[in-house]
Amino acid sequence: MGLRTGIRTGLIAAIVTIFLILIGVHMLMGRLLQSWFYVPAHWPGVWLMVVLLGLWAGSRAVGQMKARSWGNTLLAGASAGIIQGALVGAALYLLASITQAGVDLRAWLTQMSQESIAALTLGLAPLPAAGFIGGVLLVSAVAGAAWREWRLRVHAARLARGERTVSLRERLLEIPAVAQVSSNPLSRRVLMGVFMVLLLIAPFFLGQYWNYNLGTVGIYVILGLGLNIVVGMAGLLDLGYVAFFAVGAYTMALLTAPQPHHIQMSFWLALPIGVLLAAIAGILLGIPVLRMRGDYLAIVTLGFGEIIRILSKSDVLTGFTGGPRGVRNVGHPVLFGKDIGNEFYFFYFILIGVILAIIITRRLEHSRVGRAWRAMREDEKVAQAMGIYTLKYKLMAFAMGAAMAGFSGAIFASRNSFTGPEDFVLLVSINVLALVIVGGMGSIPGVILGAFVLKGLPEILRELEDYRVLVFGALLVVMMIVRPQGLWPASRPQLERPRPEEEALEEAPAELVEGEVGS
Amino acid sequence: MALLEVHNIHTYYDHIHALKGISFELDRGEIVALIGANGAGKTTTLNTISGLRHPREGSIIFDGQPIHHLPAHEIVQLGIAQVPEGRKIFSRLTVMENLDMGAFTRRDRAGIQEDLERVFKLFPRLKERRNQLGGTLSGGEQQMLAIARALMARPRVLLLDEPSMGLAPILVESIFQTITEISQQGMTILLVEQNANMALSVAHRAYVLETGRIVLSGPAAEVRENPQVRAAYLGEA
Repeated sequence: MGLRTGIRTGLIAAIVTIFLILIGVHMLMGRLLQSWFYVPAHWPGVWLMVVLLGLWAGSRAVGQMKARSWGNTLLAGASAGIIQGALVGAALYLLASITQAGVDLRAWLTQMSQESIAALTLGLAPLPAAGFIGGVLLVSAVAGAAWREWRLRVHAARLARGERTVSLRERLLEIPAVAQVSSNPLSRRVLMGVFMVLLLIAPFFLGQYWNYNLGTVGIYVILGLGLNIVVGMAGLLDLGYVAFFAVGAYTMALLTAPQPHHIQMSFWLALPIGVLLAAIAGILLGIPVLRMRGDYLAIVTLGFGEIIRILSKSDVLTGFTGGPRGVRNVGHPVLFGKDIGNEFYFFYFILIGVILAIIITRRLEHSRVGRAWRAMREDEKVAQAMGIYTLKYKLMAFAMGAAMAGFSGAIFASRNSFTGPEDFVLLVSINVLALVIVGGMGSIPGVILGAFVLKGLPEILRELEDYRVLVFGALLVVMMIVRPQGLWPASRPQLERPRPEEEALEEAPAELVEGEVGS
Repeated sequence: MALLEVHNIHTYYDHIHALKGISFELDRGEIVALIGANGAGKTTTLNTISGLRHPREGSIIFDGQPIHHLPAHEIVQLGIAQVPEGRKIFSRLTVMENLDMGAFTRRDRAGIQEDLERVFKLFPRLKERRNQLGGTLSGGEQQMLAIARALMARPRVLLLDEPSMGLAPILVESIFQTITEISQQGMTILLVEQNANMALSVAHRAYVLETGRIVLSGPAAEVRENPQVRAAYLGEA
């Protein structure tokens, strides 16, 4: 039924379009195009959004259709476009008339300025303006419907010819050069090398601001890799991960700052102590929560994270922790008598930390410990029945994850020269968990990519100002719907799909003895 | 002396008194069947032996050593392996990785390799599918994998919990044939089953459980002839 899906989709699309206009996203698009692509005026961005929304409505209507024919497609596209166009046109008519009557809509809708509406009416009177936007939406919707129908037909024809649908990855591999690089370990290594060199020289060109931001991304990579051990590998949902970050940061701060303790220890000494204390904190938290799983574990760890933060700002402990005002003048690393406490040096320092964390994670993955974690994650009771001492391995997971958090916390505090309770809010735990999930749980490149997306992207999106969080949130939602396994999921190359015939590999059982199974 | 002696064990789930004084023994090389209805305490008995639960009273002696206070992982190391109810294979790990997990407590590479070849001989299907995810196997293959995984621990006693659960009759037949085969290779087996007919046909001796107590015991053939057993468990009037 082309008509019914068309009407339904048109309604949804109209609501979305009106909402976006009311919060001023069209103006935002206009400004973005201006600043990113040097478009001279803001109207191309504004109308790009309108056209895209029309295309989307038509395409969606066709996608929802069951009976496929060009007639139905036209019906679906046109009905979606008419509904969307009529409603949006009506809304614009209202907005324009009210504004014309001299009412300032900004009293209720902060983004509904004169020029925001003018960008849509193009200086026309309310009625023709409404007709124009309606017409644009209708044409776009029909075009979107036709495009979608064409795509679907191409796809169906390919299937009919017996060709498999190809993923982007496979399509890339069809390019000879790509295939060669991905299959040849040497060229892969060369590629890695080039990437490393680029990373190594990047700080010379990037300037303070981006060095700082890249450093932050690196700190989050280490945090992510640590949490990945706890959540991704061992399957223990920890929502209070920030607590260990805080332990590392406060250890560094209290041991190296002149206030409140006058210890002023060397950075190099305070760093391992911070890591160690964080690991001990991990074990201490681990002991009481060992018998909990899933939701209960999440709640208890969440509470632990908050306890640490509240303790750090409590008045009673002000003499010990610096209280709500935090600790200032945290020590910097000094190497050969030189203070290397700026963004530039910290970039390298963090890079070393990231590489270390990657090496540790990879070793653990393929070790006996990694296998025990995987079994535990799958089924704790059965893991026990296999002879795995689950208590021990849970504590190890907590301690390892906490140690990595402690390391990044210590660096974080030293780099900022300051630390305080507000650095350790719940949002940090959530962010780290989100980057692990967005990147792809259990996957090292996934965690790195996730950290870039979650900590780097918001910096790039800074142009969006007020909308940063909104756009970012929307991106996350879309991501998890479109790609729930994460951006770069853990791959398991030796895996086979069920197949009727399989070649007999006589030597394969050696894998088991080598302990290399499951890379 | 029996290989495994269970003396008067009482196991609780909080306030629920699940096992009310169960005693039995297992001689070397025997297949002993525990049969009974749902909730009779069959699985609890196995879990108590394997250390997943601990008895509040009573003792379990394995090869002369009391084991009822030991944690599960130490009991596996002593040589008791369990095939859990409902198979419980690691569905997101491959067949090889599953088998690998079975040998977790062992460090003798040569021995592990030997046992791997042994289970592949016992279950050629698993060899064909060794790089497939456990979850993609059929029910029968999963049961094979669960048994093979337990054998990888090179146990002296194998605890089998409902190996026929949810399998087609023809598969049940073949699983029980394998169980007999494993037994003939010298394994001592404690078999828990609801499918009493099948269990009694392969077992040497049997115990009948009812609400946490043993109500009948004897050689499998005798238990099979018992009129009450015939009426209650073998579906005969």
